[in-house]
Amino acid sequence: MKCEWVRENILLFVYNELPDDARYELEQHVARCGDCAGELKATRVFHATLSSLPVEEPTPNLLTASRMRLQEALETTEQGGLWQKLTFDPWAWLRQMRFSPALSAALLIVGFAAGIGTMYSIVGSRSSSTPQIAESTPSSSPAQASISGIRSIIQEPGSDKVSIKYDATTTQQTEGSINDQRIQQLLLFAARNNYNSGVRMDSVDLLTQKPDDTRVREALLYALRYDSNPGVRLKALEGLSSYVKDDVRVRDTLLEALMNDSNAGVRTRALQLLEPVRADSSVRAVLQRLAQDDKNVYIRSQARTLLAQLPEID
Amino acid sequence: MSGSGTQDPTTRGHMAGHTTGRIDDTTLVREAQRGNRAAFEELVRHYDQAVLRLALHLTGSESDAQDVYQDAFLKAYKSIGNFRFECTFYTWIYRIVTNLCLDQLRKRQVRKEDAPVAKDSEGEEYDVLSQVPDGRAAANPERDLMRRELGGRINRALEKLTPRERMVFELKHYQGLKLRTVGEILNTTEETAKNTLFRATQKLRGALGDMR
Repeated sequence: MKCEWVRENILLFVYNELPDDARYELEQHVARCGDCAGELKATRVFHATLSSLPVEEPTPNLLTASRMRLQEALETTEQGGLWQKLTFDPWAWLRQMRFSPALSAALLIVGFAAGIGTMYSIVGSRSSSTPQIAESTPSSSPAQASISGIRSIIQEPGSDKVSIKYDATTTQQTEGSINDQRIQQLLLFAARNNYNSGVRMDSVDLLTQKPDDTRVREALLYALRYDSNPGVRLKALEGLSSYVKDDVRVRDTLLEALMNDSNAGVRTRALQLLEPVRADSSVRAVLQRLAQDDKNVYIRSQARTLLAQLPEID
Repeated sequence: MSGSGTQDPTTRGHMAGHTTGRIDDTTLVREAQRGNRAAFEELVRHYDQAVLRLALHLTGSESDAQDVYQDAFLKAYKSIGNFRFECTFYTWIYRIVTNLCLDQLRKRQVRKEDAPVAKDSEGEEYDVLSQVPDGRAAANPERDLMRRELGGRINRALEKLTPRERMVFELKHYQGLKLRTVGEILNTTEETAKNTLFRATQKLRGALGDMR
């Protein structure tokens, strides 16, 4: 009976799942019983054999890539159960707007275009209801505006008057404080969408003065990840520098830049900015990777230096 | 006398989320429930390495592991409002992950062709994963070959378990969790988890008996 009990519990013994009294009892029995001692030895060998299949830690690249992918998905995912999904929450909608500068900018543009369109249609309907010929844009001459297309040309019968309806893109100027919402919207738009890298650089440079604004931080993260100009990416890095400790997304984006940016200057700066958080598990993992096989000698040696300053972890 | 004669993998099972000296999970969960995404992301970082490690070991594929990781945390994010603190966040997230992994294992059982198995020139099946070289053993090719052969055999034996047996064995042996926790994660009792572990072990000993 005793041997039967022991054999039923040997596996739990090996896996440290037996309470202390049962554990003691089993040890005492095995010390006296050769058959059960043999069974214990066989179970341990089996345990050791299975343990020879290693449980690999995910590589830093895999972990960082997974985190970035998740963060991107979270941008467009809403929390909530079924009830919340079925009800319209205007605050949630506004919050979504607040975190989506691109959407806000797009809505601003759509709103602006709709306003212009409405004005055109009102003027158009007035001109069709009256025989008089109206100039729809009296304040700007064709020479002042860049013409993007001619919609219609109508000559009044028996007269030398011609009515031309055209679309124009005019350059406008605005000025105001950096705290002005309108100015911030334009800066955010320029940081993401302008084809001129000099303008992007200027807008990112100005935005770095307001990194505590969530929209601005989003734009800086976007610039660091996607801008084609290394100068703009460096500016964005500087703007994000004070958030490396507190904002996980900033830290992850810097890690991504450190691993994958094509510019050595950007990588070096990212490495310097990550120094205060070098004990963080993901930073440590990336440093280990860089110290091992990075092609850039300076980054490799810096990563080794930073790792050497870290205490060993078990 | 020690309970285990080898380096015990249970040490691996202590998850990052149990470390002290940082904002505790309860506070973060409450914040996340209020819509604070940064709090949710902090929670993710407490557990994501362990989640990825589990998914990687169970699926044997980085791409599948990434899918499990993504689906698990997105599901958690969407339904964190329904979390009622009846268990720890750690148990809850592991429950989501193990359910997703079980789905993966079940799909694999149905579609065996998905398994990373190939045939050699003589028509014998072998495990592709076991052919991946291991840098650590590069200095000793003979040992490397033996290690890979052993790994291949263990993998094939593990694949013969039912998804549930495989999951219990994975959580106990490779992730080092207590049977009580395994039961909680799999929504069952400790006793059932124990019986499943016994069954899995017997099958594995049968399949790998000649390796003793």
